[in-house]
Amino acid sequence: MADRSSEGKSVTDMDKMKLENFPFEDAVQFGTASWIKEARDKSWQRFSKIGFPTTKSEFWRHTSLDSLMKHYFCWGRVERPSVDVLDHLRSLDFDVEHSDVIVFVNGFLVRKLSKIGDLPDKTVMKTILEADDASIGSAFGKVLHEENRPFAALNTAYFTDGLFLKVPEGKILPRPIHIVYVTTDGTHKCQTHVRNLLLLDRDSSANVIEHYLGENIQSYFVGAVTEAVLSRGSSLTHTKIQQETDLAYHFGTLSVRQEEGSKLTSRLFALGGTLGRSEVETCLAGHNAECLLEGLTVAKDHRHMDIRTFVDHAVPGCKSEQVFKSVLDHEAVSIFDGRVLVRENAQKTDAKQSNKNLLLSKKALVYSKPQLQIYADDVKCSHGSATGQLDEEAVFYLRSRGIGKEEARKTLVYAFAGEMVQRVGENGLKAPVHKLVNQAMGWEGEAL
Amino acid sequence: MLVIKDLKARVEEKTILNGINLTVGDGEVHAIMGPNGSGKSTLAHILAGREGYEVTGGEVLFNGKDLLSLSPEDRARAGVFLAFQYPVEIPGVNNTYFLKAALNALRKARGEEELDAMDFLELVKEKLKPLKMDESMLQRSVNEGFSGGEKKKNEVLQMAVLEPKLAILDETDSGLDIDALKVVADGVNSLRSPKRSVLLVTHYQRLLDYIVPDKIHVLAGGRIIKSGGKELALELEEKGYEWLTDPAKVKA
Repeated sequence: MADRSSEGKSVTDMDKMKLENFPFEDAVQFGTASWIKEARDKSWQRFSKIGFPTTKSEFWRHTSLDSLMKHYFCWGRVERPSVDVLDHLRSLDFDVEHSDVIVFVNGFLVRKLSKIGDLPDKTVMKTILEADDASIGSAFGKVLHEENRPFAALNTAYFTDGLFLKVPEGKILPRPIHIVYVTTDGTHKCQTHVRNLLLLDRDSSANVIEHYLGENIQSYFVGAVTEAVLSRGSSLTHTKIQQETDLAYHFGTLSVRQEEGSKLTSRLFALGGTLGRSEVETCLAGHNAECLLEGLTVAKDHRHMDIRTFVDHAVPGCKSEQVFKSVLDHEAVSIFDGRVLVRENAQKTDAKQSNKNLLLSKKALVYSKPQLQIYADDVKCSHGSATGQLDEEAVFYLRSRGIGKEEARKTLVYAFAGEMVQRVGENGLKAPVHKLVNQAMGWEGEAL
Repeated sequence: MLVIKDLKARVEEKTILNGINLTVGDGEVHAIMGPNGSGKSTLAHILAGREGYEVTGGEVLFNGKDLLSLSPEDRARAGVFLAFQYPVEIPGVNNTYFLKAALNALRKARGEEELDAMDFLELVKEKLKPLKMDESMLQRSVNEGFSGGEKKKNEVLQMAVLEPKLAILDETDSGLDIDALKVVADGVNSLRSPKRSVLLVTHYQRLLDYIVPDKIHVLAGGRIIKSGGKELALELEEKGYEWLTDPAKVKA
């Protein structure tokens, strides 16, 4: 792996926005392999045709891009982050010593900031652009659906780089792979497009953390796509921590294909940015494949957090479970649009979906849309959605025992949100996630 | 300990308390009895500081201080404890965490050192024993999925841990079978001390067989219509509340 960089483009004409802001020529310089060029070309054509979505589209009904379109984002370049990334992770209680940490700055790998230990034989861990493994060309772009998905198409056309991970048959990665995507506080509002591809061969196992953070006090744009192919019997635990700074725009997609008996655990913590959209989708394409999708959104001020899930039960005998929660304060908005498709032949499907939202202010807003589309007749499916406010009876109960009002409210909010932290289980992630959730609530220094 | 003078209160437009006068001395146990809707629970709630009631007159002094001007948490810190008629279920909040946070809030307010987890656990296990509560209840969410009896025992456990100066028990006997009632009553009795006063709010005389009060007051129509010694309970049991609330009817 090597460091790459590109020169940031200066902003001269604020009126030349939208597509003119994302010059294609700049992107093509990243990657020379013919499969990359072809993929970029095709996706660019696709994107040019559909353009950025408006709220007229059903998929974007509650998420307007008007504020995004007011910005002009130039290309980022490799810069040294103002903080030591590893130290920063340690300060958040991440178990850096027992993780492989890979740091991307403004979309480019920075090797000297990364830390990678020994990996099992035949494991491939490179950047997408550097990977010469024969499997990458045939796997890249095969899981992601770009039709009517402008940001997915834009990502393929524009991505600077990202991680390519291939875990060989029967191997278990000994440590979590913690990928950090930092957007630095450069002089320009910058755009970053990252693209990852995870290939898990038969009976292999990996634990990957995608961690997005910014030290940029201005607006910036992060587009991220991760494709994963889980071969027979393999297992992937994927945790995405979206911790962008207040003015950031984040559009991310995790797109997975699961073969027989594979297992996906996807956890999403949507904690930052002014406008964020995270999509998680998996196709259960082999018998007995299982997925567990979880998510917690914490938003205050005017944050707008959009979560979309799609579970495609394509074959019989698969199991899916979704548990998503959000806590909203002030005038924050969250959307949960979760779709489960049970195809005609997907008998004996077991699909569960739950979305619960806690509103801490009268002006906070939730759109919850759990959807089950069932075309098979012998299935077990359930879904539920509940949105409510803090239980004032419970607040009084705690106060009547001497616990202060603010502390009582916090205790109850954390009782709701903390479930998603508890579900992380007893591993190295629980402590940092606990801390980050507290921070997102605005409880720094006095965490519960 | 507690002096209530001409206390009047309403909920929205409805007057519930119509001038309550009551004095509870140090170490005394008083029972407030009365028919449904007489204002018993309202009085208990107002003393604990629950929102939704408007005090329209009178005052409440707790050890000389104006109780009604304090927030619920400050009342608790001053030593007032309300055992709820319907203890609230709080999913996701661990019972031990809750008890420890409450005790430490009180200790902090008193200028005492907060207890650490180990010391606290020892203390709480001691308090569990006489209540015949299983230790597993400490690990459960506060009152979540507890039976009626377990909830009431959990209230008494909190009281035992927090050691209030004034304990107000709001229909703590309701919904208890006789065994649970005995355990709860024993728990309360064991906390009786010359420095701790108890206000028992109850509909039935039954509880008073186990927790023997110094005085009994009958509340009806938002005022105390009769006060007396413990024998008053027996009279009520025999004659019913109508004897006091509607004497004409009884005579007829």
